Amino acid sequence: MKNENNDLKLSPSIRKNRKVFEELLGIGVSFDVDYRTLKILEKEVDIYYITGLNDKDHVNVIIKELLELNEVEHAKSSKRKVHEVIENRIVNYQVEEMDKFYDANTQIMSGLIVIVVEGYEKAFAVDVRSYPGRSPSEPDTEKVVRGSRDGYTENIIVNTGLTRRRVRDDNLRFELLRIGERSRTDVAIAYIKDVADPGLVQQIRKKLEDVKVDGLSMSEKTLEEFIVDQKGNPFPLVRFTERPDVASAHLFEGHVIIIVDTSPSVIITPTTFFHHVQHAEEYRQSPTVGTFVRWVRFFAIFFSIFLLPLWLLFATHPELLPPDFSYIGPNEEGNIPIIVQILIADIGVEFMRIAAIHTPTAVSTAMGLIAAILIGEIAIKVGLFTPEIILYVAISAMGAYATPSYELSVANKLARLSIVLGTAFFGVPGLVIGFTLYILFLTKTISLNTPYFWPVIPFNARALYNIIFRLPVPLDKVRPSIVHPQDDKRNN
Amino acid sequence: MAKQEERQSSVFLKSLFCGAAGGFIWGIVSSIAYFFSFSEVSHASFILRTFFSGSWTEGWMGELISLCILTILAIIPALIYYLLFKQMHGIMPGILYGIGLWVIIFYFLNPLFYFVPPLNEMTMDTIVTTACQFVLYGVFVGYTISYEHHDRRIVPKSSQNEA
Repeated sequence: MKNENNDLKLSPSIRKNRKVFEELLGIGVSFDVDYRTLKILEKEVDIYYITGLNDKDHVNVIIKELLELNEVEHAKSSKRKVHEVIENRIVNYQVEEMDKFYDANTQIMSGLIVIVVEGYEKAFAVDVRSYPGRSPSEPDTEKVVRGSRDGYTENIIVNTGLTRRRVRDDNLRFELLRIGERSRTDVAIAYIKDVADPGLVQQIRKKLEDVKVDGLSMSEKTLEEFIVDQKGNPFPLVRFTERPDVASAHLFEGHVIIIVDTSPSVIITPTTFFHHVQHAEEYRQSPTVGTFVRWVRFFAIFFSIFLLPLWLLFATHPELLPPDFSYIGPNEEGNIPIIVQILIADIGVEFMRIAAIHTPTAVSTAMGLIAAILIGEIAIKVGLFTPEIILYVAISAMGAYATPSYELSVANKLARLSIVLGTAFFGVPGLVIGFTLYILFLTKTISLNTPYFWPVIPFNARALYNIIFRLPVPLDKVRPSIVHPQDDKRNN
Repeated sequence: MAKQEERQSSVFLKSLFCGAAGGFIWGIVSSIAYFFSFSEVSHASFILRTFFSGSWTEGWMGELISLCILTILAIIPALIYYLLFKQMHGIMPGILYGIGLWVIIFYFLNPLFYFVPPLNEMTMDTIVTTACQFVLYGVFVGYTISYEHHDRRIVPKSSQNEA
């Protein structure tokens, strides 16, 4: 049924067209789809629209202008055809002609108005869209102390506009695709033509064209799963950002960005592990401070994975500790085994994280109190936990919150739990093999033909230096080789 | 053609450099593991303590001197990998190469190092810890060399840059 109608063309008879439109759009059934018939120069003209998605004032101006035609032109004396006169009179700079019902319907459903003129087998789509939505505001997940406060919104047009504001280069391209049989979501591939790797652009374009799905309900996340081969891999294989300045910085480096309508997060490809441990704030501070912040962050991320298993190892095998560190480890055996305590505490923190996501603000203060007092203090007094457990679980939880990428922090949590279990069962070999497997797993991961653990393995000294030290921007002269830029110099 | 040769020589130098860097990074890891008694031996046991005696070989000074020597010695396995296995793909050859190196040093060359206990007297902890270090070094060197050799591509003849 659907495919049959895809190629159906408009006919010169306006009555026939009206019937088909009524049938396909459900006019008379759906309350928000309708048409208005005007009589212009003795011809009937239908205007199809959907309420709620277009600018009413603008539509009224167009109708007024069209009706004025009746006063200034005379049907018989006019040398031009009526549809030409009408097209010329549409007060808008974005007018498109189309001859298929499918295209016209998509435009109507996107919020455009479609004008059908009697005796003419094409329709005019006029862009009078005005989507309900918010204006740009600072994204919650990527705040900076100083600097621009605008963030992407749910509207793709606003998003491309915000990007263009930062990249005025005429080589910036936004290729538009429509994905989803039923959702018909607009998706834009953004790249700078003479910088980005054309092979990568083509690969992404092909993957997007091959997407067969009825709707992109979780927009960019749904699409991400079609682009990268996630399988059982918990690590985030692409980076999301809601900040136009971060997106444009990546465009300059030669990355390809995918913007999906209805989502404020854009996808940055290709991505490596180390893209997830950097933050815009580091570039808002002086290079030295930025480097310091970055190192502290690296320690936090390292602690969020390895501190807990390491402490567990020392708590269960105190003989491993050098004499200077002998105070580490619980002074008295608790009532339950340490590994069980760690698991309860760690999963308890996870309870709080999950709960905090959807707790209303009014209740969250109470939740914080319950969490801090009950779980922290009472659990120790009752004898459930030894105090040290709370300390180390808290440090590793803070380390996870200090991870700039939310997705990475959750993936690291899984890694931590597995290594904790390995350490509990096998002691030193469990921890060492866990560490080795963690690194081998990251090395083995490939995202869009890009090694995930670059530049550590495969090793690239210059890029690694760039990650360990946040360089002053004037000294940062080359684009990262990982994106295979066509032009690897930043300033020539 | 000249460009091709230039590239090859750059890959060669990069391979040697990555061998040294690998020795340095995993040498530090080895010292840390020794410090926390994960392993009874560190690189200093092989390089310094076998040939010299004295308290300076024991502390962090000994580890540091040994780390410098290890960094230079670690070029040799990278050179061998470059000459023999650079055509390989993926991380598996690196893992096997690392295990191979470990077997050579800990089993066949073991009698040379008087300070290192024979394999059958080592604890399981030591064996696992050192083997893991060698595996990581092997992957580090092997994956890097094959990545550089294949023109910084993971998949052979990938579509990138051809369009």
